[in-house]
Amino acid sequence: MKKKLLNKIIENKEKKIEFAIITNLKNGESCIFEKNTPLDKNFEKYKDKIFSQFNKKNNGIIEGTEIFVETYIRPIKIIIVGAVHIAQYLVDFAKNLNFEILIIDPRGYFASKKRFPKVKIINKWPKEAFNEITTDQNTALIALTHDPKIDDPALQHAIKNNFFYIGALGSKKTHSNRCDRLKKNGFTNEQIIKIYGPIGIKLGGRSAPEIALSIMAQLVSVVYKK
Amino acid sequence: MKNSFDEKILDEAKDWLAVKRNVILATVIQTWGSSPRPIGSKMIINDKGDFSGSVTGGCVETAVVRESLNLLKENKNFKKIEFKVSNESAWEFGLACGGEVSIFLEQIN
Repeated sequence: MKKKLLNKIIENKEKKIEFAIITNLKNGESCIFEKNTPLDKNFEKYKDKIFSQFNKKNNGIIEGTEIFVETYIRPIKIIIVGAVHIAQYLVDFAKNLNFEILIIDPRGYFASKKRFPKVKIINKWPKEAFNEITTDQNTALIALTHDPKIDDPALQHAIKNNFFYIGALGSKKTHSNRCDRLKKNGFTNEQIIKIYGPIGIKLGGRSAPEIALSIMAQLVSVVYKK
Repeated sequence: MKNSFDEKILDEAKDWLAVKRNVILATVIQTWGSSPRPIGSKMIINDKGDFSGSVTGGCVETAVVRESLNLLKENKNFKKIEFKVSNESAWEFGLACGGEVSIFLEQIN
């Protein structure tokens, strides 16, 4: 592999672009494949097969050839509402697991660059914040403020947009009150039941890093269920 | 649903190159049976014999380092290596779990 190619791969990963690395195992040549960019001419004759492998997001050697394809898909986006203590640990876990992280918190003193270096922070109320970001079925929401003014609008957005994971921090009682408020706002039981609340799998620990771990474990398990 | 779990091995390779090390990238390209790590798993090896990442669960890494150092010594750009449990040296660096794995070594230059 050429150094130039390595740099381009890292650049693409940082830009969260979907691409594939194509390697000819017979002569060691490799190139990057992107959907709307012409394919390196040395690989032209495998074009259709590479394209089909890329669309299936499969890694492996194309049958009957010596061409190895490795696809890089866009990371799953996690939106954290509430730049609280637990969020600081969630950011660490999420980085190691290669999730894309974004924090929403209208309270400037919580969501500061000092507390969250290198993370995208939106210092706005969830309603305005969601106007700035694209979300889809591959997005997760972790609501941590347990303040209905901040959490509820975010939860409503996540339910309406079919996020694959929606979790909300708070005791059973807090969660039951939350569910009542959502019902009053016209959400059905079927929609409300999709919220993981109280958030996280039961580990027993109550410290911020332990709660962050229990949330991350739940989220990853949901990734593989869907 | 698929996630893009990525172990940042390539990022680390870039750091090694920046301090003028010769770097070999090892990638799992094919597996059979219960080989412990999926296709695409990566490991990097430098001319000092340092390594990072993994291609199995620690079963064949020593041999991969040795093969990589040989590749550098012979100044070759790439090589494909396979490990099977039936390998005569299985007790030393075969897959104890009975799987088979094919690994592509390439110099980053």
